Amino acid sequence: MRQTHRRSLIFTGLMGVLIMAVVLAASVGAAAIAPGDVLRVIASYLPWLGDRVDVSSVSLAHESILLHIRLPRIALAFLVGGSLSVAGSAMQGMLKNPMADPFIMGTSSGAALGAAVAIVLRLNQSLLGFGAVSMMAFAGALLATSIVYRLARIGGRVPVTALLLAGIATGQFFTAILSFLMVIASRDVNSIVYWTLGSLSSRGWQHVGLVVLPALFGTAVLMFHSRDLNLLLLGEDTAANTGVPVERVKRVLLITSTLMTAFMVSVSGIIGFVGLIVPHATRFFTGPDHRFLIPASGLAGGIFLIVADTLSRTVIAPTELPVGILTAMAGAPFFIYLLRRSKKIS
Amino acid sequence: MGKTIQLNNLSFAYNERQILKALNLVIGRKTFLSIIGPNGSGKTTLLKNIARNLKPTDGGILIDQRALETYGSAELAREMAVVHQQTDIGAAFTVHDVVMMGRNPHLTRFQQENAHDRQIADQAMQWTSVDHLKERLINEISGGERQRVMIAKALAQEPTLLLLDEPTSFLDIHHQIEILELLKKLNQEKGISVIAVIHDLNLAARYSQEVLLLHQGKVLALGATEKVMTAANLEQAYHMEMIIDRNAYTGSLQVCPVSLRQRKSRTQCIHVIGGGGMGKEVIQRLHQDGWQVSLGVVNKGDSDAELARRLGMTIIEEEPFSDIQATTLHSAGIAANKAMAVILTSIPIGRGNLANIQMAMEQQKSGKTVIHYNTYLPDVDFDYVKGEGARLLEEMALAGMESTNDLDQLMAQLEAMAHEAEA
Repeated sequence: MRQTHRRSLIFTGLMGVLIMAVVLAASVGAAAIAPGDVLRVIASYLPWLGDRVDVSSVSLAHESILLHIRLPRIALAFLVGGSLSVAGSAMQGMLKNPMADPFIMGTSSGAALGAAVAIVLRLNQSLLGFGAVSMMAFAGALLATSIVYRLARIGGRVPVTALLLAGIATGQFFTAILSFLMVIASRDVNSIVYWTLGSLSSRGWQHVGLVVLPALFGTAVLMFHSRDLNLLLLGEDTAANTGVPVERVKRVLLITSTLMTAFMVSVSGIIGFVGLIVPHATRFFTGPDHRFLIPASGLAGGIFLIVADTLSRTVIAPTELPVGILTAMAGAPFFIYLLRRSKKIS
Repeated sequence: MGKTIQLNNLSFAYNERQILKALNLVIGRKTFLSIIGPNGSGKTTLLKNIARNLKPTDGGILIDQRALETYGSAELAREMAVVHQQTDIGAAFTVHDVVMMGRNPHLTRFQQENAHDRQIADQAMQWTSVDHLKERLINEISGGERQRVMIAKALAQEPTLLLLDEPTSFLDIHHQIEILELLKKLNQEKGISVIAVIHDLNLAARYSQEVLLLHQGKVLALGATEKVMTAANLEQAYHMEMIIDRNAYTGSLQVCPVSLRQRKSRTQCIHVIGGGGMGKEVIQRLHQDGWQVSLGVVNKGDSDAELARRLGMTIIEEEPFSDIQATTLHSAGIAANKAMAVILTSIPIGRGNLANIQMAMEQQKSGKTVIHYNTYLPDVDFDYVKGEGARLLEEMALAGMESTNDLDQLMAQLEAMAHEAEA
């Protein structure tokens, strides 16, 4: 069938672009590393290829930069970008609302407030290598989303409009507290602003380790609900009459996307626009079928953030830009372009 | 195939407002049931309660003796498919994708559709004649096509019950008939029970076996179409005067709303000379405007007489196909004497009813206002008595008989006469 053919073509294309992005991202930077060396080092760690690759030509310094600095950062960018896009696709489908994104439940404002509190109170404790800022951000995200969920629940149901409104109201409230904090603790404003702009700077394998399971597990759960998401696009009543336990599915989708998002935000700060634009852009090529849209937008989101993060550390090197600035700068015009070009976005 | 549906004391309230009031009824297997009733009578609410989109505030529903709430989502979707009122689908799914979604209740979460599922979806598309649209996008086809696609999706669920909420609204007459013919075929050939909310009484009468008439959240009548769709029932539900007869072409019941019931009632009588269907327009209008009406002389079985009878008017009748007898003409004369005015409609004049025209002339001579509602066509001969009829009409015109072909003007004139008489 034509459709299947088109899908495998898009998928192969995305895999190809991903490999190119990884290699490119690993080679550029303060120390320029030849793409060949990058490939060799990566290959030497793969199970089957490992013994057949000769890495003696790669300098130890380069190998160390790749292994301890660039590759974990690339992996993290991929997981964060992918997860935000996957969660965004699910939210847009579930809420039938093109403006929905992973932060719709107040995740971002909750996380920002949590992180700000940790910064202002100078909390230095760490647990299993994770700083208090990350942990407080995670806690803040969960607090905000559970408030939104409780507010939006009316008699055992979670109507879409109630959810959107509760998300906006709670988000505004948390942002107000955050602003208040920033005014009274003005010397911390810089750190707080920097955190809320999102960054993958100086993250290592332990951060990857923290988010890899939530990313994979969350994506799997959302993918298992692809058919339900498709049916929800025909309307909640029709979905219910076609065998979708609507309220239960909505609950599972909300909790899964929110947890995924909270994990990502706790390691990266708030990286905006990825979860909004990437699903739209992907849908433009794949159509609305979530069985394909979710994995494809996961790949696309991962690629997008790898590229954005690479730019963020190279455009005005040695200074690093928070990657959230770049995603918004690249994302907003692209989004407008897509909107104008096609009415298919829904 | 088909399941019984039993409602026990079913009530539904929305924000304290009682929409359905303790409904008790049983819907049989393999039926084609139309739910009718005026706006706000609870038709859609009832359908959504049966479809489990809404939860009853009191009472319950049994499907084949089993409580509706005990069915799992997928299990229920294998028994019952629902086509809701049309809403725009924004997502750019292909028609094939949408129909295939109907297989959802037959698949587990980890299962893919197989050849069997594809075959069933294909069959569903053939039944509803949308197979040629397979690759088209659901948001780029017409309303009628989309409605058929949604029915195909419902059929792909292989249900025994099919519920539809106003499946023909927003469709043109061709597509309305197409959808209903399809539902009838599904009901008769596949044995699927069809339960549909239908706004159009004539379509409901023509296609359904049974009708449920709702009124203010209660069942006004349920049963065979002929038993439910009576003038009395419909008048009660819709607060209108209705005439129920049979359509000459389809043979099915036909509902004709005659007038809103709140009309002026007048004491003055108007005598109409009609026959051969020429009087209908005048009779109906006089009735609507509240006049007392007598009609005659007409032959029994004449369509004017039939209409007048349904509207409860005085009729002076002659045996079918026979000339007007002196006694009958006398009775008509008495009726005309009592009337404020006589309206002579444009009847074809033959030997049998020439006496009618003569009577009108008598009335005119005695000083009664006689008005000719002249709808004779210029080139069509209406006189079958060698010009005798035309001659009489001319004579009356010379004697001052007014003639008009404007019904509104005619009514205004009667109104003015009544006013003058009262003053």
